[in-house]
Amino acid sequence: MRVNPFDIRTIVLAKHAQHVVLIHFPLALFVAAVAFDYLAQWTRNQALASAAYFNLLLAAISAVPTIATGLAAWQWALEGETLKGILLLHLVLGCGSSVLIWVVAWIHWRARRRPVVQLPNYRLPVEAFGVLLVALTGHLGGFLSGVNAP
Amino acid sequence: MKRHHSTWALVVALALMLAGLAVAAQAQSTADLIEVRIDNFSFGPTEVTVPAGTTVTWTNHDDIPHTVVSTDKVFKSKVLDTDEKFSFTFSTAGTYPYFCSIHPKMTGKVVVR
Repeated sequence: MRVNPFDIRTIVLAKHAQHVVLIHFPLALFVAAVAFDYLAQWTRNQALASAAYFNLLLAAISAVPTIATGLAAWQWALEGETLKGILLLHLVLGCGSSVLIWVVAWIHWRARRRPVVQLPNYRLPVEAFGVLLVALTGHLGGFLSGVNAP
Repeated sequence: MKRHHSTWALVVALALMLAGLAVAAQAQSTADLIEVRIDNFSFGPTEVTVPAGTTVTWTNHDDIPHTVVSTDKVFKSKVLDTDEKFSFTFSTAGTYPYFCSIHPKMTGKVVVR
């Protein structure tokens, strides 16, 4: 099958290809946001805290089309077949990762709405757990897509 | 004595005939079943040419799930995990391109004569 990477029809209609492309955005933005947030906590640097916040917002926004295209791939490529094994684990971890990204973004968003920004400390282990879930989901996704293949 | 010899000749001839039939049946069953390996993100052999009535069996030897889906929607497997198989009997002559719906770059073809 020969495809032109600049053909708009290929980009739009290439079944699950969008998910494989889009996943990089929430993944990278969330990991970067958490890194910035840890650094901001450590250095008390407001610029780093702001960078963490905007990265988190973008991660939360980009997680929506990512999970939507992942679910669409399940319906289009596999016709909604009952999943098992690595595919099921990838779906469950992906949903869990998305929820954690949204929860962390909401914690930051809520704190920023107050006159004095006071981020709760419990967010740090939640963020660390989120990074772990995102990494596991990405690892399985890499296996499924063949990126991690020998 | 002569009758004894002819009986033996008949027994030997029957035994040879039966052996021949067994070999022919074995060859026939081998010809009617074709195996395609799914390994290392590829179908092997990529293209098979078979007579009509042949059953082709795909076996996933990868650690990754794969599917076998006809481009023309003639056949479609469920998701095949490691060592799972999918078989389809081709009764009509033609060319049947197929791919893995999880990894669309994985393609193959069955030519039925």
